[in-house]
Amino acid sequence: MIIADRKSLEEIQDMIKEYKKILLVGCKGCVTVCNVGGAKEVGVLAATLKIARKKDGNPIEIDEKTLERQCDPEYVEQIRDIFDQYDAVVSMACGVGPQFLSEAYPSQKFFPAVNTKFFGGAVQHGIWEERCAGCGTCVIHYYDGLCPIARCSKSLQHGPCGGSAGGKCEIAKDVECIWDTIVKKKMEQGRLEDLRTLRAPKDWQTARDGGPRKSIREELVQ
Amino acid sequence: MHLKNKFDVGKFTILAEMQPPKGVNVSTMVNSAVRVKNMVDAFLVPEMGNAVMRMSSLGGAMILQSHGMETIMQVNCRDRNRIALQADLLAAYGCGILNIMGVSGEDPGLGDHHQTKAVNDIDLMTLFKAVSALQTGKDLAGNELSGSPSFLVGANVNARATGDALEKELSRMAEKTEAGVDFFIAPPVFDIGAIAPFLEKVDLKKTRIIPTVMLLKSVGMARYLDRHLNVTISQDLIKRLMRAPDKAVESLSIATKIISAVKEAGFSGVMISAMGWEDKLQKLLDMV
Repeated sequence: MIIADRKSLEEIQDMIKEYKKILLVGCKGCVTVCNVGGAKEVGVLAATLKIARKKDGNPIEIDEKTLERQCDPEYVEQIRDIFDQYDAVVSMACGVGPQFLSEAYPSQKFFPAVNTKFFGGAVQHGIWEERCAGCGTCVIHYYDGLCPIARCSKSLQHGPCGGSAGGKCEIAKDVECIWDTIVKKKMEQGRLEDLRTLRAPKDWQTARDGGPRKSIREELVQ
Repeated sequence: MHLKNKFDVGKFTILAEMQPPKGVNVSTMVNSAVRVKNMVDAFLVPEMGNAVMRMSSLGGAMILQSHGMETIMQVNCRDRNRIALQADLLAAYGCGILNIMGVSGEDPGLGDHHQTKAVNDIDLMTLFKAVSALQTGKDLAGNELSGSPSFLVGANVNARATGDALEKELSRMAEKTEAGVDFFIAPPVFDIGAIAPFLEKVDLKKTRIIPTVMLLKSVGMARYLDRHLNVTISQDLIKRLMRAPDKAVESLSIATKIISAVKEAGFSGVMISAMGWEDKLQKLLDMV
């Protein structure tokens, strides 16, 4: 899923400082699962902003709404009747949400309340880690299900780089060297020679480097 | 006298594009440049135009400089991150390259290495900011330099723009000037009238604009430029080229006339793009 972190209260306050009435919109998708932009977090942020603004002698009215998904035009329609009743709309969805809202309601102003970080999952309660870089050409089968594109700091197809020590990456002591893990796994399975295969230079056209991407399923297009 | 001084005294400057080789055989590039060395004020060395991999602009420029020729090194944002860009700018100045031209760089999809990543770590305006920072003795991270460069900085300008696009281009040009750009290279022109709207808005005495004069190597090329690349080429010119018994001689004659028109219009100079006909530069410049 998509992992996001909430922006700091100061940054959000600064974005909406000139507005008196806003709509705060959450999303029941990924950001609910990673506890950053669901109904609960919408409530917490709304209350915090109202208290902060009241304390500053500049009270703000905030209505709350959490959509099934902000990345689907069908659900984005759920604010059609109310979107223009506000000075601005703040989205707590990933970066897709405020853009879908902007496109659906061009006359309104939209602000993001979260920073979209990566595709990943929870490794323990409260900790999420990156697992996929969305490069568009999955190669994890070459590396026993571990992705060096997303998880190696240098996205090496032929690692390790020589900068790792004790299974940790040279960029920080708390970052796993995924190549260390890949090599260990291959050794345990007696298949280290798999890594001798020289891979072709990666085709980055399917990643973001080839420009904005689109996925078309002809059978679903009406 | 360096290019900057020539600009300062108002000399009509002749620049010539000199493409580095795709490979290490530099003799064609060097020989073509040496032949016109005394007639060209500086050679513009492109940095992998159209995203086609070849010898870098820094390498090509250094080779030409080693033969006593002044160069303009092109720098693009596509192939290097901010560390490499700044490092190459310092290297260039250290090797005597005094003029640079900043460009964004075409998408790799247009070139011969489609699968690569474009870097685009910093954009063009940030590149000019980096140049300014280096010139004030600091890098983009704010670290002190031991000695700072002093470049004459160039950029592109789309002199063919009209209407709203022209307004945007003029605003962009002002932004670039503010960012430290000293001169602008305009795209190929075959008829000064085609850039009349631009000329109405720009004071050529205050802004150094250098139109490109491209050699038309064939009727097909002329038609392609006219139809697909928004380069206005009149039917008369195409017919003239079509009827000419010797296309090369006619092409040089056409270019000579355009160069004269560019000079008469009050531009700061002209940039000749020989498109592979670098060996004909000497004849062209003799005619000019």
